[in-house]
Amino acid sequence: MSKVDVLSQNCKGVDQCGICKYVCPKDLYRDSKEMNSAGYIPPEMTDEASCTACENCMIYCPDMAIVVHKDAQDGPPAGEGSDD
Amino acid sequence: MNATVHPLRKYARPHVTRTTTCPGCGNGIATQAILRAIEELDLRMDDFVFVSGIGCSAWIPSPFFAADTLHTTHGRPVAFATGVKLGLPEKHVMVVSGDGDLTAIGGNHLIHAARRNIGLTVVLMNNGIYGMTGGQTAPTTPRGISTVTSPYGSLEHSFDIAPMIVSAGAAYVARWTTHHPRQLTKAIKKGLTKKGFALIEVVTQCPVQFGRASKLGGAVEILKHFKSNSVRIEKARKMDPAELLGKIVVGEFVDIEKPELSSEWTRLIHSMREGRQ
Ligand SMILES: Cc1ncc(C[n+]2csc(CCOP(=O)(O)OP(=O)(O)O)c2C)c(N)n1
Ligand code: SF4
Ligand code: SF4
Ligand code: SF4
Ligand SMILES: [Mg+2]
Repeated sequence: MSKVDVLSQNCKGVDQCGICKYVCPKDLYRDSKEMNSAGYIPPEMTDEASCTACENCMIYCPDMAIVVHKDAQDGPPAGEGSDD
Repeated sequence: MNATVHPLRKYARPHVTRTTTCPGCGNGIATQAILRAIEELDLRMDDFVFVSGIGCSAWIPSPFFAADTLHTTHGRPVAFATGVKLGLPEKHVMVVSGDGDLTAIGGNHLIHAARRNIGLTVVLMNNGIYGMTGGQTAPTTPRGISTVTSPYGSLEHSFDIAPMIVSAGAAYVARWTTHHPRQLTKAIKKGLTKKGFALIEVVTQCPVQFGRASKLGGAVEILKHFKSNSVRIEKARKMDPAELLGKIVVGEFVDIEKPELSSEWTRLIHSMREGRQ
């Protein structure tokens, strides 16, 4: 199972929003190449193995466009996210 | 194709597939915080009545939440919610609305509901502006900030909502920013379990109407501003007012027990009935 799923259709764009890129402590998101049907460019994961499943990107996404699976196997142990 | 469903999607109406907000709007962060609080408390949407007024923030529960939602007139959600709570005291009655709706046109309803200590949970989205109508100055616009109706910077002093509602008599008051979604979730959980009036003020970003006119920037820039200017209340109590200018004091402002209005009514009704027999 993948650790992170981007629900691209819900995203309102890394250019206009970009909150996921900002809150990822590992800086794992970049702009994807493909526009969704609403005309927004969603993010894409660069290195899932480095993801700590801290859930920051999921919790902060204002459009519920990211799902983090804390129970997914492999990679570093689940990290605790923090807000401050 | 991706078949993954967001874990909080189960609380949304199936036919509502998009939020009503602009990209990067803080309202979505609060939406998740509310739904996560409900999930962590193991409450059912059937236990709730959500009440909102008019404004972008008023669209948080309605039409998104799969529950009874009352989308009322501008400024009046607390008045509607007061009626709902007195009629259906066993329900969780949650008001979600904006700073303009709840502290400008609806300011009196808010302070009197706090004074009465009626068991409502109010999530007040404070973006410092009238977002929906085009970005006019609100009673919450920080002094000196430019808006479309104050292009040289607002000359007015702004409401400090959380302490104002403490003075009005609320049993629980907390304030967090959208940079603090986990603390915000905890505060909403406390508000929902509190017997009495609970206000959770959410300092939130409106990148479109507030961000542009104030030149504070987009969603990420405003979030960074929240992060670097937030001061915990415990620390703020030891600072002098001059040091706190322009800061956002966050944390729990009050958490007390006092008689709650709808249960006082229920008690009175029972004692009158017993007296008649
Ligand atoms: C009686 C009445 N007066 C004025 C309006 C216009 N109006 C609609 S929303 C709004 C302000 C909303 O501001 P706020 O509550 O802060 O919500 P936001 O859009 O910022 O989330 C105003 C003045 C109205 N709809 N009804
Ligand atoms: S936070 Fe959500 S809506 Fe914003 S860019 Fe990232 S995935 Fe898209
Ligand atoms: S779960 Fe944490 S580490 Fe993984 S992508 Fe999201 S923000 Fe980055
Ligand atoms: S105008 Fe501002 S508050 Fe309203 S949806 Fe857009 S970003 Fe959010
Ligand atoms: Mg507002």
